[in-house]
Amino acid sequence: MISQLFGAVMLAYLLVAILFLTAELWSSPRLQNAGRIVLWLGLGVQSAGLIGRWLENYWLALGHSPPLGWTEKLRLIILHAPLANFYESLIFFAWCLPTLGLLAFRRYLKGYLGALIAVLSTLLLAYASFGVDSRIKPLMPALKSNWLLIHVVTAFLGYAAFALAFGSAILYLVQEKRPRSSLPPLPVLDNLVYRTTVLGFLMLTLGIITGAVWAETAWGRYWSWDPKETWSLITWLIYAAMLHARLLKGWHGHRIAWLAVLGFMAVLFTYFGVSFLLTGLHSYLT
Amino acid sequence: MSVTRIHSKPKSWLWGTLTSIRLTVFVLLILAAVAVIGTVVPQNQPPSQYLAHFGDAWGELLWRGGLTNVYFSPWFLGPIIVLALNIMACIVHGLPEAVRRATRRFTIEAALALPERGQVTWPADVDPHPLVSATLRRELGRCRRETLQDREVFLLERGRWRPLGPYLIHVALLLILAGGLIGKFWGVDGQLALDQGEVAGAFQLGSRMEQPLHFQVRLDNFQVSYYERGGIPKEFRSDLTFLKDGREVSRATCRVNEPVSFGGLTFYQASYGSQAAGPIRLTVELEGRRQTIAALLRQPVELPGGRGKLIAVRVDGNFQGYGPAALLAYSAGTGHPMVFWVLQGHPELGEQPGPYRFTVESIPLRYYSVFQVKHDPGVWWVYTGFLMFLPGLYLAFFRPTERWVLVLAKTPQGQWQARLLGASPRQREEFAARQERLLMELKGGTPS
Repeated sequence: MISQLFGAVMLAYLLVAILFLTAELWSSPRLQNAGRIVLWLGLGVQSAGLIGRWLENYWLALGHSPPLGWTEKLRLIILHAPLANFYESLIFFAWCLPTLGLLAFRRYLKGYLGALIAVLSTLLLAYASFGVDSRIKPLMPALKSNWLLIHVVTAFLGYAAFALAFGSAILYLVQEKRPRSSLPPLPVLDNLVYRTTVLGFLMLTLGIITGAVWAETAWGRYWSWDPKETWSLITWLIYAAMLHARLLKGWHGHRIAWLAVLGFMAVLFTYFGVSFLLTGLHSYLT
Repeated sequence: MSVTRIHSKPKSWLWGTLTSIRLTVFVLLILAAVAVIGTVVPQNQPPSQYLAHFGDAWGELLWRGGLTNVYFSPWFLGPIIVLALNIMACIVHGLPEAVRRATRRFTIEAALALPERGQVTWPADVDPHPLVSATLRRELGRCRRETLQDREVFLLERGRWRPLGPYLIHVALLLILAGGLIGKFWGVDGQLALDQGEVAGAFQLGSRMEQPLHFQVRLDNFQVSYYERGGIPKEFRSDLTFLKDGREVSRATCRVNEPVSFGGLTFYQASYGSQAAGPIRLTVELEGRRQTIAALLRQPVELPGGRGKLIAVRVDGNFQGYGPAALLAYSAGTGHPMVFWVLQGHPELGEQPGPYRFTVESIPLRYYSVFQVKHDPGVWWVYTGFLMFLPGLYLAFFRPTERWVLVLAKTPQGQWQARLLGASPRQREEFAARQERLLMELKGGTPS
């Protein structure tokens, strides 16, 4: 039932994208507003769906457990956040994008930029709805750790922030080629790329650190050169290089934008490529 | 970290290169590229695998070139060393200046040298002090107040420690690298496989070496529990007892995500397996007649009716999620043995060759548990690095430097005049917004 809810959210985000695009083409502030409202609605429904899925996970786990005291129940709740398989991670990713977008872009989350974010979320939800097993399964022993929640949340906030940086960078490159007065001006876009990248870098760093500490408690190795780990390191190195180039070499504009695009390709490979093309410790995602 | 290069002296040239950001960016991208190779070429496989997979020429090249263990080859370690030197050089180069800036007091002279951002005047009969204090407190927080003979100066400085942020980050990175090195040289990393009831006084280091323990460890019980039969495992649990000179010292339960430490070593639940603890009991059916036989592992059994031999090759406690099963080899006369699985809980699954039909009555299983045994003195270095990294990131990226000064004085005409000075080199937008609000509130007296 909840997976149908996410299907509805997917349609809502698709509508948001269409509204933002038509608003841009006809320069209609009314359609922009309608897009914002539908975006908020979709986000609200998706948040409710995530909480519902969380509860469902928790109830299922409760059914497999002996009667528990409230501290153990709390731990069970923390363990059963809907972040434990590929389907749930896609849904969460699709939630992070508009949420972070509203926080980081504020009034710029409209028009082409807003449509781009909405399309990305739509694609993620479409993939989750049509291509991935959505059944709830009990938690396997490797995932039973308090680190699961913080590790996955930070990692996906990082991915989402880099997606926003990618969106701004694409817009920057387009704006540079064919300037349009309705798009945010170049310095604003450049600043958005930088700020979202910094946010993503912080989150990715946190994701890697929490992952390392978790791996140390689960397997006795904080780093095992597992493909997921290695690719997150590759991503981290690319963004580290980009931040150094910008802050200390004064790189701006399209060179930084291209690095943001390259970095996001690495993010996509870290998330999808590693899960499908390479095997490793994170293969339970599929 | 600006760099001046003097090419005439080789020492200065080397120093200039080591402290250059161009080198940093270059090394970071090289490291990323080499790491990609490590995920595309499977690591640490036997040489024959590479020859089979990549062909003779390429396989040989990969093997000899160190690309099959790339993270411990010069291709990766070289750039890492260069990066470490680069970081150290940058720290030596820039840290003293950063410390000087961070510990420098925000003096009146420095304050009055800041660029002016606006002026507000009030008539002589209005005392602006309450308004100025209230506005500054609301918009900026608590300011330092200094009274000179003819004027009053309000000062505020934020993010003074910001210049230290990058250095915290880079020292943290060095700590993490040092931790990795310490673990590599002084750490112990091995495996220990224990049958239920078995006592061990040593564990495996690598594939050949055995490392003695200064205590003994016994596996009292190993258990896999499932959410539902044949489904996802719920828990792997090993109950361990640690002994010294035959005396029990401590007991502990080791699970995945819940390692156990004793005597300076940590035991992690790594994997498990099962083997037959006694004869497997099978029902054999031939032309309607049933009979029960007992087969020991890898011991041929003549089948009733004399139409062949049977060998139980292997058992599995949970074959592909379908519960206990036995791998049997049946041979009739001198022919090749035919191998097939028989599942205890699902006799209908799988094809069986020959005239006999086999069903499993019971498999006495004994589980063994495999532990990762580890001691890594570098972990705390790495963790210290992690802990240092975060305040470093905060200072470097989320704590902009901001300086505000308000000078309140009487003009020669007797009016009150406030001059607002300030600067925030890295957050111009936010600074400008706050400046506008401050000036508006001081002029109009109404907060927006």
